[in-house]
Amino acid sequence: MSKISEKNLIGESVRRREDFRFLTGRGRYIDDIKLDGMAHAAMLRSPHAHADITKIDASAASEIEGVLCVFTGAEWKAAGYGTIPTKSAVRKFKDGSDLKEPPHHAIAIDRVRHVGEIVAVVVAETRDIAKEALDAIEVYYAPLPAVTGLKQAAAEGAPQVWDLAPGNVCLDFGLGNEEAQKKAFAEADHIVTLDLVNNRVTAVPIEPRGAVAGYDAASENFTLWNSSQNIHANRDTIAEAALKIDKSKLHHLAPDVGGGFGAKNGVYPEPILICHAARLIGRPVKWINDRAESFLSDTHGRDQVSTVQLALDKDGQFRGLRTETLGNLGAYCGTVGPFTPTGGSSRTQGGPYKFDAIYYTAKAIFTNTAPLDPYRGAGRPEASYQIDRIIDYAADVLGFDADELRRKNLVPKAMLPMKTPMGLDVDCGDFPEVYKRTMAMTDRAGYAKRKADSEARGMKRGFGVCAYLECTGGGPKEHAVVNFRDDGKVGLAVGSHSTGMGHETAFSQLLAGHLWLAIDDVVFTQGDTDATPLGGGHGGSRGMEVGGSAVLQTSRAVVAKGKEIAAHLFETTSDKIEFEDGSFFEPGTNHTMTIRDVIDASNDPDKLPDGVQPGCLNIGTTFERGIISIPNGSHAAEVEVDPETGVVKATHYWVVDDFGTIINPLLADGQVMGGVAQGIGQALLEEIVYDETGQLLTGSLMDYAMPRADDIPPMHVGYFEDAPTAKNLLGVKGAGEAGCVGAPPAIVNAVCDALKGYGVKHIDMPLTPEKVWRAIRAAQA
Amino acid sequence: MYPFDVKIPTDLAAARKAFEDADDGLFLAGGQTLIPVMKQRLAMPGTVIALERISDLAGIKAGGSEITIGAMTRHAAVAADPDIAKAIPALAKLAGGIGDPQVRNRGTIGGSLANNDPAADYPAAALGLGATIITDKREIAVDQFFKGMFETALDAGEIITAVRFPMPECAAYVKLQHPATRFAMVGVMVAKVGSTVRVAVTGAAPSVFRATEMEAALTLKFEPNALDGITIAADGLNNDIHASREYRAHLIGVLARRAAQEAIS
Repeated sequence: MSKISEKNLIGESVRRREDFRFLTGRGRYIDDIKLDGMAHAAMLRSPHAHADITKIDASAASEIEGVLCVFTGAEWKAAGYGTIPTKSAVRKFKDGSDLKEPPHHAIAIDRVRHVGEIVAVVVAETRDIAKEALDAIEVYYAPLPAVTGLKQAAAEGAPQVWDLAPGNVCLDFGLGNEEAQKKAFAEADHIVTLDLVNNRVTAVPIEPRGAVAGYDAASENFTLWNSSQNIHANRDTIAEAALKIDKSKLHHLAPDVGGGFGAKNGVYPEPILICHAARLIGRPVKWINDRAESFLSDTHGRDQVSTVQLALDKDGQFRGLRTETLGNLGAYCGTVGPFTPTGGSSRTQGGPYKFDAIYYTAKAIFTNTAPLDPYRGAGRPEASYQIDRIIDYAADVLGFDADELRRKNLVPKAMLPMKTPMGLDVDCGDFPEVYKRTMAMTDRAGYAKRKADSEARGMKRGFGVCAYLECTGGGPKEHAVVNFRDDGKVGLAVGSHSTGMGHETAFSQLLAGHLWLAIDDVVFTQGDTDATPLGGGHGGSRGMEVGGSAVLQTSRAVVAKGKEIAAHLFETTSDKIEFEDGSFFEPGTNHTMTIRDVIDASNDPDKLPDGVQPGCLNIGTTFERGIISIPNGSHAAEVEVDPETGVVKATHYWVVDDFGTIINPLLADGQVMGGVAQGIGQALLEEIVYDETGQLLTGSLMDYAMPRADDIPPMHVGYFEDAPTAKNLLGVKGAGEAGCVGAPPAIVNAVCDALKGYGVKHIDMPLTPEKVWRAIRAAQA
Repeated sequence: MYPFDVKIPTDLAAARKAFEDADDGLFLAGGQTLIPVMKQRLAMPGTVIALERISDLAGIKAGGSEITIGAMTRHAAVAADPDIAKAIPALAKLAGGIGDPQVRNRGTIGGSLANNDPAADYPAAALGLGATIITDKREIAVDQFFKGMFETALDAGEIITAVRFPMPECAAYVKLQHPATRFAMVGVMVAKVGSTVRVAVTGAAPSVFRATEMEAALTLKFEPNALDGITIAADGLNNDIHASREYRAHLIGVLARRAAQEAIS
């Protein structure tokens, strides 16, 4: 079993099995779930960013015909429910003191701390009645001063979001060797400093968050269908921390999930609240977020401001890097919120470039805004933006060629394996080769003509590059279980979770390929805490790395058990049996059985060795990742800027990624292209904006600008597959987030390149037409 | 959405009666504004009176030096009409650039003009080309039609039946799209109708307006560089997170020059 079999479908662009269901409206999303007797919940959300709740009068709402119950923080507190804890992996200040974690109740008790925080819940016969009843609840607020911006919140005398967090600081973090960094800076010829904003964004999944909760009084069991990316871990938190029940009492399911991007990773208040409601009224309860509510209440992402300093020698050799960051947490810690600007943004500092020393320090800051949690990449895009933006900036201000600076400083292949100054274990890869292959795709020879064509039309053309290095993350364990059914189908359940990226295809492809079965015979299950004993959900580009490895490991266990059965029937020992081309056989004999024969035998006591039970091929195994993998690659973008209006159009895009082994190129392309589109959205269009009082100004798709198809240029995607990692069974490195790690710096570098002639040095994302126009005017003034 | 009644009259008299009989009646033309605001519970009409089965409101008629477009004509039909493409290509292009295909297949010219969204395209076409708004009661010269943000000269219950456009010697419409809505952040229609030049600006202010200084300059010399040196005052222009009033003022100049160039080329 040293190699995966030849017909194994690895590397095949198997078409997505789930798409027929999705594209014909047959997906099963939360709002498709309709249960007998189901009632509907609606949430009353705070219009104030910071206020004391002095009184709530829900009597009129309760009397509306069709209203089943109304409850507020007072009832919640009296019922004795617990809070939602943060699972941030970083929990200590630099000085060793503990992370400041305020109590996060599912519903506001006495005080609200951001617009959109829930203050009352109505359950009614219909959604319209529930919404109508919300209008009838009278809440009396005493407004308090609010703070929304990072620098304002960190400033002295700022309004305090929590008394337990002086200065609004939740966490103060440092990683790296500061002394060595200072020494490198002291010895360097140049130190370049750049202030960067990583704009606040939100995921806008096409399926808004929603849930259906049911309660069975006889067994005291809850069933919760939830548009979630992480049902196992979230079951534990919802059951044990919030509802204060044993986790075995909560069956947590996520059917088809229409997009997550990190925003569905965490534990949210609403599913907890409707579990309570279902128990209270003895009926199932559904809640579906409106799009407008989604902008107010989905966790947001990014929102960091950083000062980045690059120290380099006069020949362009990088010496040291220092980044100081403020990261916005919103009003609560979020499920892993404090980790993103601290640990999450620290590990890939410096990217694939060689440094003597790096030091990263960050403060996680509370503000009166919606909580922040992971958003595709969660820290790695921020780090990538910092290093690849300051390289171009340094080249510009010091007179280097940015391409030369990159080639000179990329970690050479000979240095691998290595530990980076931030402690990342980089086992394999070839960064200079990947960079070279990307540049070779970019048609540099034709650039001069394209630039001249642009100039002739009064336009400015620019080219930008990013060489990124990132790392996987998320839960280290994953479980895959197979079940050979008597209808000839093979059940496959995996604890990892697709929110659209194609696990149903890729995991089925792995199993079918390994066992030489038809992929159509694989019946795939995900998102059910009863189907697998554990699961790590979706996040950190871990699906194939951990989930795929679990599928392969289980497949191998099936083959090993199949050999035992074949050996018994051939009257030999299993080490003499081989499995090839769908058959178990003993070389040198005419003993052979197909896998179908072995599956049949596995259910027939007469054909099994003593002590082996029928159904013995129904195996589940847990794969546990040791060390996280290191995806890397290079992006290049070409843009055209209209200097009169400031409009930016991305015209060309090229990427070469080292994701290790590519299981399904079609799915990998989808991940890359989707990620790049998301990155282009952040770079050019998207921004969540609060005003100073904490009101959300981008509360709908009329103000929050999502990228459309015509904002995205044609993409040329290539893979470097010469360095599969030995850190997991498949040699994969993780593909899910890389696109939006590399795209923002490549796009911003390209725009700044286009505007170099005007003296523009930097523009903060998103590069809206007005910002670009103002930058040109300011540079020329 | 709040509950409401629906009436679907088949002639104008029945539509008027439905309006008179209704508490808080609203006419539904293409529904591209009304339906979303009802869904967001920002509008709660007692009765929605759908106009789509009134045959008098449909159709495009070209004749002499004018083109008359029925109020319920969809944007996609205007964009694809061969007579309009020949006589007023700028109008066909404008209609083909509204929203997306779904919007263009539902939205109507009458609905757009009656709504008078500050960022809509059709008000710029009507004002820039000097159209006449025909209602079930009267004809209204376009210069008297737009009264302010979402306000027009229409009386309560008055229904636009058609819009009559003169055929210009040349015209062009250029807009910069709002990044989120794809409405016009600023859109400028420049047209020469007979000896008159009209420059209509949408998206920049609470309501569509004419840039009279630009009109005077282009009347003297219909060339883009005739606009050199003319600046639009930022005072009173729209100011929001997507575009400040100064930027919008700047865009009016840029887009007017581009429209003038396109009109003569």
